[in-house]
Amino acid sequence: MSGAARFRNGVKISERHGAGEWATEKVALLILMPLGVWAASTGFTLAGAGYEAVTGWFANPLNPILLSVTALVFFGFASLAWKVIIEDYIHKPGSKTALLALVNLICLVLAAASIFFIVRLALGSAPLPAGLGA
Amino acid sequence: MSSASNDPVDDPSARIVLQPNGRPRPLSPHLQIWRWHVTMTASILFRVTIGAASGAAVLVVGWLAALAFGPDAYAGVLAFMGSPFGLFIGFGLTVVLFSLLLNGGRHLINDTGAALRIKPADLLSNISVWGPVPLAVLFWVLLFVSGRVSL
Repeated sequence: MSGAARFRNGVKISERHGAGEWATEKVALLILMPLGVWAASTGFTLAGAGYEAVTGWFANPLNPILLSVTALVFFGFASLAWKVIIEDYIHKPGSKTALLALVNLICLVLAAASIFFIVRLALGSAPLPAGLGA
Repeated sequence: MSSASNDPVDDPSARIVLQPNGRPRPLSPHLQIWRWHVTMTASILFRVTIGAASGAAVLVVGWLAALAFGPDAYAGVLAFMGSPFGLFIGFGLTVVLFSLLLNGGRHLINDTGAALRIKPADLLSNISVWGPVPLAVLFWVLLFVSGRVSL
C-alpha cells in the first residue's frame, strides 16, 4: 500500500486488487446463472440414468464442454467467495493465510480432477485405473 | 445534504449519517438494537449456500470419478443415490442449486444498486429464502411422476 489514495468521481478506489476480485466474483456468478439452469435440467435428465445413458450424454461434445466451463467457473467463484468469508471471520494473519492457501489448493485440485474425468469421459477412454495409459 | 438525516421518511432505505470526511454513509447496524430482517436471512443463507454448494461440488466430482472408474463403480453410486438416504442427499443438492440461482440472482441485482429499498429488497430476499424449497419439491415430484426415479 504505497502512494496517495486515488479517487474516481469523488469515491476512493481500491488501492490494490480488492475491486478486481469483487468484479471477477460478480462476473463468475453471472456466468453461473445460465449454467446453473442448465445443470438443473441436466440433473433432471440424468437422475437415475444408467452407465450407458450417462456415457452417451458425454458423447455429445456440447455437454462435456458446458460441464467443464461450469466446473472451472464454479471453482473459481468458490475460491473467491470463500476468500471473502474467511477474511470476514479469521483475523489472525497466520491462520488466515493458511486457510486461504488451503481453500485455493482444494479448489485447484477439484477443478483439475473435474477436467481430467470429463475429458476422459468425453473421449470415451477405458475405465480407470486400468485405462490410465489409454 | 448539509446535515445527516435520521428520519426514516426522508431515507427509506437505511439511516444515513454524515461521516467526518463529509461523505454520507449508512449508519452501522448495532446488534443490540437491530431488528431481525429477512434481508439478513437472505444474506447469511447465501454464505451458507456457497458452503453447501462447495460440498455439493465435491459430490459431483465424486460422481464423475465413479463414471471414469467404470460401470461397477458407477453402479455403486447409482444404488446409493437410489436409496432413501441418497434421495435425501439428492433433494438437498437441488435445494442448494436453486438457492444458488435465486439468492445469487438477488445478490447480482442488489450489487448493481437496484432493489435496495425496503419493499423490493424484502421481495427478493423472501424469494431467495423460501423459493428453493418449492422449486426442489416440484423438481422431485416431476422426477417421480415421470418415472425416472422411484423408491
